[in-house]
Amino acid sequence: MLTFIIRRLLAGAVLVVVITTVAFFLLYAGSGNVARKILGNSATQAGVAEKNHQLGLDRPILVQFGDWLTNALHGSFGDSWFTGQPVNDAIASRLGVTLTLVIGATVITAVFAVVLGVWAATRRGWVDRIVQFLSVLGFGIPGFLIALALVLVLAINLKLFAPTGYTSFSDSPSEWIKTVTLPVIALAIGGVAGVTQQVRGSVIDALRQDYVRTLRSRGLSTTSVVFKHVLRNAGAPALAVLAVQFVGLLGGAVIVEQVFAIPGVGQVAVTATSQGDIPLVMGLVLATAVIVVIVNLVIDLAQGAINPKVRLS
Amino acid sequence: MFRWKTLTAIAVVAGLALTGCSSNSGSTDSSNSGSGTLTLGVLAPATSFAAQSMSWANESPYGQAVYDGLVHADPDGTVVPWLATKWSYDSSKTKLTMDLRTDVKFSDGTKFDASAAAQNVLRFRDGDSANKSLLALVKDAKAVDSSTLEIDLTAPDPALLTSLTQNAGQIESPAAFTSSTLKTVPVGSGPYTMDVKNTVVGSSYAFTKNPDYWAPQDQHYAKLVLKYFATPTALLNAIRGGQVNGANVSDITTVDQIKAAGWTLNDQEYNWAGLILFDRGGTVDKPLGNVKVRQAINYAFDTKALLKTVGYGYGTTTTQIFPTSSPGYDKSLDSAYAYNPTKAKELMKEAGYADGFTLSQPSSALLGTATYTLLAQQLKAIGITVKFTDPGNNFIADVLAPKYTSSYFQLQQDPTAWQILNFELLPTATFNPYKYNDPKVVAWGKTIQSGSESEAAAATKELNAYIVQQAWFAPWFRPKGEYVTDAKTSAIVQVGNAYPYLYNIKPKS
Repeated sequence: MLTFIIRRLLAGAVLVVVITTVAFFLLYAGSGNVARKILGNSATQAGVAEKNHQLGLDRPILVQFGDWLTNALHGSFGDSWFTGQPVNDAIASRLGVTLTLVIGATVITAVFAVVLGVWAATRRGWVDRIVQFLSVLGFGIPGFLIALALVLVLAINLKLFAPTGYTSFSDSPSEWIKTVTLPVIALAIGGVAGVTQQVRGSVIDALRQDYVRTLRSRGLSTTSVVFKHVLRNAGAPALAVLAVQFVGLLGGAVIVEQVFAIPGVGQVAVTATSQGDIPLVMGLVLATAVIVVIVNLVIDLAQGAINPKVRLS
Repeated sequence: MFRWKTLTAIAVVAGLALTGCSSNSGSTDSSNSGSGTLTLGVLAPATSFAAQSMSWANESPYGQAVYDGLVHADPDGTVVPWLATKWSYDSSKTKLTMDLRTDVKFSDGTKFDASAAAQNVLRFRDGDSANKSLLALVKDAKAVDSSTLEIDLTAPDPALLTSLTQNAGQIESPAAFTSSTLKTVPVGSGPYTMDVKNTVVGSSYAFTKNPDYWAPQDQHYAKLVLKYFATPTALLNAIRGGQVNGANVSDITTVDQIKAAGWTLNDQEYNWAGLILFDRGGTVDKPLGNVKVRQAINYAFDTKALLKTVGYGYGTTTTQIFPTSSPGYDKSLDSAYAYNPTKAKELMKEAGYADGFTLSQPSSALLGTATYTLLAQQLKAIGITVKFTDPGNNFIADVLAPKYTSSYFQLQQDPTAWQILNFELLPTATFNPYKYNDPKVVAWGKTIQSGSESEAAAATKELNAYIVQQAWFAPWFRPKGEYVTDAKTSAIVQVGNAYPYLYNIKPKS
């Protein structure tokens, strides 16, 4: 087990280095004249040249990358070129907000997907058809469109939730619920649709196995067979899909945070990328890559824990 | 059955709790002067809170929340006393002497004095603000005594006082100059201080009333929140959900929905949209050096149709880059180039370009395809073929390099003629990348710079008329901007600025 974890962590570290290197060069190629963007229309050409020099953008790209890498290895990601805020602070103050949304959406996805998937697989008939229809609908309609409809009805007309913004749980639990509910629903809908189909298929496959017939012949109730035995076998592929879903939700948060004006990393990622704020974007890329590596590792370990057949060596 | 009852009760209580709790909006008690929270929607996050690096226009409320200016501007642009109670120029107009207040303290307890003012002026001149050129003519600034500031200029600057009403005049505590949080935690003497705990840099900025403020009549609220909205949809939702009290609308097509929600629209026109004909000397594109060709280009545009299509009908057609508040503005000139493709073709023929020619222009996906399609169609009708290139993120850099001889743009209408000269007209102007030098323009510039008020006004009028006649630009219209306020809030729009000045946003009486 320990060897497995170390191996995965080393592979993860290589992945992080590759991702950040590619991201740096892509950003450099695509960001245009950053100093002009910082200083705006009114700035003189001399002022722009001075700013470029101040930011070190007049140095060779390899020197810039070397500097960034050296500082990053020492835990320093510099300051945002546009706001002056240390990148570490910018990410730390926003990551919790995004993870709240993504973890909330993942939990909702898992719960609803298991309930609906098992229900459809065990009941079949009209229940199955309705669940499948809703899954296709969930896939077909983009989450942000559903979000906008939810905002219009539940936030603007009924005033049950906040249409935009974010309040932390520590400041006000009721406000927190009002600000996170709609974004979490918007994020979760696509995930529920996908994972439900996966759970349904896996449960149907598992129910056809010989051991299920054996268990039933021994007089175990359907509930017991499904929740104690079938789900353990069907859980592994569902967990794999959930892991992919979690990573996808990090990307989905970018749009949802824009629609709901939520101060998470997705919102700042869009702004920073369009501005060419390389230190901030690089910090965000690194943080996201690390999260993805950790989530994949956790899912691998969880799969082993719930199903001995895939236990890791 | 019992479980259903319990669940129903829980749902009802939760529903009541959700609907009963106050929202996190700024529309809480804002009816009393000096109390309540004012929440404003802004279209840009703060570039920096270091006074020497701050931007203006859409970012002006950030600076005005925490800093005092040396002088203030009334909504019509008139300069009025603030930290400076009175001022005067010497006879050469190169020495400005200002008497300063003596009862002002920064939020860190440091006393405001002439030395602090002088240091700030020089730091802004030498800093990295987008507007640092506002103080380009400042040679030196020094404290004559603790309450007298002297600013020496290399040449007269008729826009200096106006500049000092903006970010160039904001005063930061000298004790904060070396702070490691200089760019994110401001230390000023303004009406509010930053609430760092509740601020998320780049998204939402919270401020609380400065308890020791020397001008409490200008503190209209106990708390101030400036929220950045990256998308028009989020801003519209926040407005309709009552989460902000005032906002600058980024998407003009949403104003009908905002109006329907009971909000007040405060009209303003602070930009002009149209073509800039950079190469008016004809150094690269020879035809543009011919005034008849430039006039033909002006006649070629159906500006009323363009206003309707590109500007969605919000705005006023014009031929002038000077704002209506300028002494140079002449309403009659706005009909100087009424749409007339026949006349345009005649002028092209007279100039020797009856068969037309080709122009290369930059385009931007951000402005939509309709703008460029119509531009190309209307110029094609008089024989000019336009080939577009999208420089992406390098749009402005490439235009000013200069890589193009003409371009569609939306540019600000600065409040003073001197600013317009330095921004668009003089050989050294940023938006005169070919450094075109017209002795007449330079001469009017000198009068505007050094002449009396009446001489400058007359020169401005002549200058504007000349620029229109020479067709250095082909303006289409002044797009209308809307600053919207809810039923509890009033705002007075500011001449030449995208955002009303913070001290003019108040509870509605």
